[in-house]
Amino acid sequence: MEKKTKAAIIAIVLIVIAWAALAAAKPSKEVMMSKCSPEIQKQIEAEKNSTRKRITVTYNSLGFINYCAFSSSSKNADGASKEVYVGFAGKVYSAKEGPAKFVSQMVNYTYRMLGCGENVFHGAKLTILLTTLTVLIGFILSIFLALGKISKNVIISKLCGAYIFFFRGTPLLIQLFVVYFAIPGVFGFAWKDLFSAPDTEAVYMGAFVAALIAFSLNSAAYCAEIVRAAIQSIDKGQNEAARALGLTYGQTMRKVIIPQSVRRMIPPICNEFIMILKDASLVFAISLMDITTISKNIMTNELSYMVFIPALIIYLIITAFFTFIFNKIEKKLSVYE
Amino acid sequence: MKDYEYIIKTEGVSKHFGKLEVLKNIDLSVKKGEVVCIIGPSGAGKSTFLRSLNQLEKITSGKIYIKDELLLHREHDKTVEKISPDRHKALMLEMGMVFQRFNLFPHLTVLENVMLAPVNVKKVPAEQAKKEAEELLDKVGLLSKVDEYPSKLSGGQQQRVAIARALAMKPEIMLFDEPTSALDPELVGEVLQVMKDLANGGMTMIVVTHEMGFAREVADRVLLMADGIIAEQGSPDQIFDNPQNDRTKSFLKSVLNAN
Ligand SMILES: Nc1ncnc2c1ncn2[C@@H]1O[C@H](COP(=O)(O)OP(=O)(O)OP(=O)(O)O)[C@@H](O)[C@H]1O
Ligand SMILES: [Mg+2]
Repeated sequence: MEKKTKAAIIAIVLIVIAWAALAAAKPSKEVMMSKCSPEIQKQIEAEKNSTRKRITVTYNSLGFINYCAFSSSSKNADGASKEVYVGFAGKVYSAKEGPAKFVSQMVNYTYRMLGCGENVFHGAKLTILLTTLTVLIGFILSIFLALGKISKNVIISKLCGAYIFFFRGTPLLIQLFVVYFAIPGVFGFAWKDLFSAPDTEAVYMGAFVAALIAFSLNSAAYCAEIVRAAIQSIDKGQNEAARALGLTYGQTMRKVIIPQSVRRMIPPICNEFIMILKDASLVFAISLMDITTISKNIMTNELSYMVFIPALIIYLIITAFFTFIFNKIEKKLSVYE
Repeated sequence: MKDYEYIIKTEGVSKHFGKLEVLKNIDLSVKKGEVVCIIGPSGAGKSTFLRSLNQLEKITSGKIYIKDELLLHREHDKTVEKISPDRHKALMLEMGMVFQRFNLFPHLTVLENVMLAPVNVKKVPAEQAKKEAEELLDKVGLLSKVDEYPSKLSGGQQQRVAIARALAMKPEIMLFDEPTSALDPELVGEVLQVMKDLANGGMTMIVVTHEMGFAREVADRVLLMADGIIAEQGSPDQIFDNPQNDRTKSFLKSVLNAN
């Protein structure tokens, strides 16, 4: 254990040092820009003061690698309309073919999927934000739903049961449509009106809030079944001991039953988290772009299947990270066993 | 000093599980400081009777009094006399219960187990509750284990913590449902010793037990329960040396043969 921790710390320090060194040695933006062919240089110079540009320059800086692309509406001397360069460890490489081309694609796709240089309602940032908040809100709501469902009050129990049945029995995509389109339609408002930001910003924010509401309500229904099963798995003797000591129903739940059942909820809640992570792609339907939507767009627009490599890796990293966190929480909650 | 005759009294307590009548018109009166042991064959209704006293089971009909004050009156599965919630709560707190399977709270330390009810139910300040809990744990010989979780304790130690936990609410009546049946034989003695000390200290106790030696030594009165009725009751000498009822005789014979 001791040794393993030490080795892990050393490994992390070495990686950080190597990363920092490579990042420092990365060619600057100016150097990258100056590497393109003379024709393109000339055109960029010529278009400097014009509003209609025939050359589009894309510059991405990701970690210790730079990516620079010049696409032109006309073809250059080689008959290509695009020149791509990657900068790494003080050198700039043309990414026309071979490993450099592969690296350039990976850098550009990853950059776009992570949502770098965009607001938080884009790419991996959107996926992580939406998923985390959904699980948090859904879990809190689900405790009330679960307690309601096992309540002796028939009306409360039936109501909570109906809620769970409805949200588990209908597709999340339609629930999203209802929240995003139908509800504002019926009540006469628009989600973007909730924000006083510039219009495009407000549209994103409004769509995000609508998605968060739909996802949380849906997730609450699924989590409620998890919470209910965990509560009912606690030995009946715990409840009896608490009641024999004079604790009220509420105190018994808060002090005795729920603290013990939380630990049993963690693994299935982690599963639910991973499900939501994947379901987050449904937000494309209200014009938000998550990792899956961006990779699908890249694939259809650029006919590049390579895009799935960074997409899968990003998903696996997110899943691994959160599984690690959930495991840590579970360990922490099991100290008494 | 005491202004009541019986600390706990039942009149015509009956309990049905569906069609099965498990308790039939049980009348029992217990004086303060008395130690009553209930013995009898499996399925006789001993646990159900204790649990009914503590209202972990809802009786079908009958009356239960604590210190001559009505705690519960039910007929045909309905409560017929309303008791004010405050009085009900106060009377319920006169009873503490110890279970066969301890039922300690596994997520709380020994000290937290003992403090939980005083702090939350009686609103005793944490400082004071801690002091009292430590005194009780000292009494049951477990002061050194205050910060352990129950899973780290032996069965005998867990049951002693459970006794301390019940005592922390300062009940005047202690109900024990086979407190040593789940224990390895070598751990039974330490729990019985704690119970003996408690009896010698004047605690009123109703103990369902299979420990005939304990019943004989400590009980003021022994009840033999069979098929939902109290078949026979009397002093330990009467019951063990000179039983009158056939069921008592056959039960004692089976116990003696088993040992
Ligand atoms: N919740 C229940 N539902 C249905 N029947 C029950 C329930 N609890 C107990 N019984 C039945 O009531 C009868 C008495 O049970 P009880 O547990 O009171 O017996 P006991 O005298 O404590 O026996 P033991 O010595 O085995 O503990 C048994 O026939 C049992 O099967
Ligand atoms: Mg029993």
